[in-house]
Amino acid sequence: MIDIWTILRFLHVLGAIVWVGGQLTITVVVLPPVRRALAAADRADVLRAVGKRFAIITFTTFLPVQLTTGILLAGRHGVTWASLLQPGYGRMLATKLLLFAVVMAAASVHGVAQAKGQPGTARAASITALIGSLGVVLLATGLVEGSAS
Amino acid sequence: MTQFVDLAPPPARAEGAGRRPGPRGPVFVWANVVVLGWLTVAVGLLAAHQLLGLPGWVALHALLLGAATNAIVIWSEHFVVTLCRVPGPPPRRLALGLTALNLFVVTTIVGVTIDITALAGVGGTGVAAIAAVHTVHLLRLRKASLPGRFGYLIGFYAAASAALVAVAVLGAGLAIGAADWYARLWAAHVHLALLGWIGLSVLGTLFTLWPTTTGTRITAGGLKAARRALPTLTAGLLLAVGGMLTANVWVTVAGLACYAAGTVLVIVPLRPAGRISGPAAWMLAAATGWVAIAVLLDATRLVLAGSVDALPEIVGTVMPVLAVGFTAQVLVGALTQLLPVVLGRGPAEHKAVAGILARGWQLRTVAANVAVPLVAAGLPEPLPRIGWALAGLSAATFVTLALRVAVPVARRGALDLEPGPQPPRGTTTGVLAGLIVVVVATALATSGRNSPAPTTVSGAEHTVEVTLGGMRILPGTIDVPAGSRLVLRVTNQDAMVHDLRLDTGEHTPRLARGETALLDVGPVSGDRQAWCDVAGHRAAGMKLSIRVQGGHQHTPATPDSENGTAAVPGLDLAADPSPGWVPRDATLAPSTGTVHRIELRVGERDVEVAPGRRERRWTFGGTTPGPTLRGKVGDRFEITLVNDTAMGHGIDFHAGALAPDGPMRTLAPGERLVYRFTAQRAGAWLYHCSTMPMSQHIANGMYGAVIIDPPGLPAVDREYVLVGSQLYLGDPGSDSQVAKIRAGQPDGWMFNGTAAQYDHAPLVARTRERVRIWVVNAGPGDTTSFHVVGAQFDTLYKEGGWLLRPTDTAGGAQALDLAPAQGGFVELTFPEPGHYPFVDHDMRHAENGAHGSITVTEHP
Repeated sequence: MIDIWTILRFLHVLGAIVWVGGQLTITVVVLPPVRRALAAADRADVLRAVGKRFAIITFTTFLPVQLTTGILLAGRHGVTWASLLQPGYGRMLATKLLLFAVVMAAASVHGVAQAKGQPGTARAASITALIGSLGVVLLATGLVEGSAS
Repeated sequence: MTQFVDLAPPPARAEGAGRRPGPRGPVFVWANVVVLGWLTVAVGLLAAHQLLGLPGWVALHALLLGAATNAIVIWSEHFVVTLCRVPGPPPRRLALGLTALNLFVVTTIVGVTIDITALAGVGGTGVAAIAAVHTVHLLRLRKASLPGRFGYLIGFYAAASAALVAVAVLGAGLAIGAADWYARLWAAHVHLALLGWIGLSVLGTLFTLWPTTTGTRITAGGLKAARRALPTLTAGLLLAVGGMLTANVWVTVAGLACYAAGTVLVIVPLRPAGRISGPAAWMLAAATGWVAIAVLLDATRLVLAGSVDALPEIVGTVMPVLAVGFTAQVLVGALTQLLPVVLGRGPAEHKAVAGILARGWQLRTVAANVAVPLVAAGLPEPLPRIGWALAGLSAATFVTLALRVAVPVARRGALDLEPGPQPPRGTTTGVLAGLIVVVVATALATSGRNSPAPTTVSGAEHTVEVTLGGMRILPGTIDVPAGSRLVLRVTNQDAMVHDLRLDTGEHTPRLARGETALLDVGPVSGDRQAWCDVAGHRAAGMKLSIRVQGGHQHTPATPDSENGTAAVPGLDLAADPSPGWVPRDATLAPSTGTVHRIELRVGERDVEVAPGRRERRWTFGGTTPGPTLRGKVGDRFEITLVNDTAMGHGIDFHAGALAPDGPMRTLAPGERLVYRFTAQRAGAWLYHCSTMPMSQHIANGMYGAVIIDPPGLPAVDREYVLVGSQLYLGDPGSDSQVAKIRAGQPDGWMFNGTAAQYDHAPLVARTRERVRIWVVNAGPGDTTSFHVVGAQFDTLYKEGGWLLRPTDTAGGAQALDLAPAQGGFVELTFPEPGHYPFVDHDMRHAENGAHGSITVTEHP
């Protein structure tokens, strides 16, 4: 049955797909050919443009949608502040949120380092963010499993 | 006098030509690939040992015996050949030696893991033999040539190899099973391996490796310190190991302190003048720091404990420090420095290899060193798990990088630097950082018990007490009905650390002495195995079989158990007692003195529980019931309890009133306790074992009576004391016995610990004599209704009160009813000579053992 909660869950999952899939696509699909094919100056332009666009999507759409739908879904699931610390569902959700915060921090470091012209740090941060995002998806999958039982 | 050292391997011999024009030829490169391979195996086992159902120490041996030993053998050989300018062995011999070494190492690890002593023995002997050959070879080099300024190296390596021989010998001893000597051998084995074989090799090498790593010169002072450090280190190690083997704590501590002093002798001349930089330098510095910390920790904790009994627990803390902080880190650090020289031809390639090996090194080093306290400090889960994951990730990243350069060189003889652009900087750091964050998050997320989910229980649930101690798991076999759910309550009674692991991988945490953990086996449908996972304990005999009794689960223990008359086959109350049987004297002597001192030793004895039937029982003072104590109100009792058994026991005197916290605690094996109380109130009191589950401890004989006379108690002609209890046949604590105890289905009832004993050895009295019979009901579960057939009681004293006195001439009493742990007495005179049975008038009890007889003769 499709109801408002299905729509909210759909939006939440869609947001995650766009965010994690986008990072994966850029890192694994876009960057290597760009690095090979383009000259240094062009490469920097392209990457900057891609990065900027991804950042805009993140801040205008992704974050608001994820936070709103996430909070609503948590409320629907009966999650309270106290239950966030309890082992099991609550703790996994809390850790997922923490990991998501780390991912956001790493993404910010990436932006700053890129702007300052520190490619090594920027790359380290972006890969950290990517792997961290996959970890968020892993924990989210665990939550679905946990809610089913 | 200072000099730079060129650690580049000497040119290859003719045999190596054609394959690779590099330094020591392909054998040397392959040998390093083998080291990396062992590191991979170690990391893989660390991550997957639970899934594979393998004990954790297999991973540790892959690191120490696999990776570290291979690295030490090839590099010590190399350093001696290069620095002492002696001829190296032909590559073929090197290859042969290394192949044999690795075969023996694999044999050892497999042998101990799958518990085939012969295999473990062959492997251990092989390793010892190769180590011995290596030692002799090094010593001959020293004699044969003029080793010059670096001659001290040979001394270090020879001492280390000698330690390896001892390690292998002790390891073989452990695998074969050394019972009483196990803890000592184990401690010596661990210390010789980590501080001797690995420690001496590394510390010796540091004098040359460290200056090379930091780009400084080797000074004459450093070389002098090197020659001075070796005797101190060796003496310290010998003292420490000697102390462990002789169980002398002070000798051990002195040895460890001496070893620590030797470490300082190494560190002081090598302390860096300026800031150290580069991956190898940081890792070597940190690793050396951890050796010093580990040795000091070892010594300090030993001093605080004041007994070598604490060594197993201390080693449990120190070993992870030495494995993760020292061995793994020093291995990675040294290879970071040395591999470029082996794998690259010329400065450009050296630099390229070094660049690859240094990727992400800051994060790797931080992760490895943060991991050390996490794995070693005894922190709650999930912190140790996170620590192991960090250490594993750190090592795995290095191994991946190193194999990426080493394997192509080993296979094709050349470095593959051309194809593909180098990945941009930051990749390794990013991957590592991402993995670390995810691993930590996952560990945190899954920590703690999951919210209590309803567990479907199919069949009955059985909780079985399992004790670990004396290199045995008791009981050694547990029989459970098919489909029933089994929970093991595992208690470690030993001074050394144990755990219990099921063949499916679930396991208890490591338990220190006296700690208990529950291990849920779940529904049991087929035979299962469990064992202690501490290195070698399984081989030493710590095994447990869980057997399924197919199809019997619904068959009641006895055909007529529903009415409680459990007539077990074999319990023949009319049988003759065993030859030499002495009945328990029921006579109660009058009390003397006001202070009662007695030593009660807890033991395990074969006791006559029914005529002709001897069973193992747990006893206070060697008998069941334990000795009867008697005194008056205001008397002081001082009981010294000594636990001579291999499991925990305690005592609870109902006759005294005190806070149970201290006096009623469970005594570990060998412990003693002085239990003091003043009798404030009169009564016939019970004492019994205070260790859970008390039903079993009481049912297996751990009870007795304390009689405190009421003030003004008149003297009588005869006094007897009878302690009633139930009889549960079977091995104490065995599953079948526990099931009967839990179900309250005894095999019999008895007075004074033997069913029907006073049928075979009647009490005596004479007519006109006033007889007082004290009765205490020890339980563990049933009531007693004491009655003397053919006689009436004119006096009835129950639980501190007179229910009937001789002056109440109108009325009489027929039975003294006592719930478990109640007591009292009756008085009676026998009207005429004859045989007066006395019974527990619950006739089920009387007919199954709670029965005796009083032979009354005419008063002269």
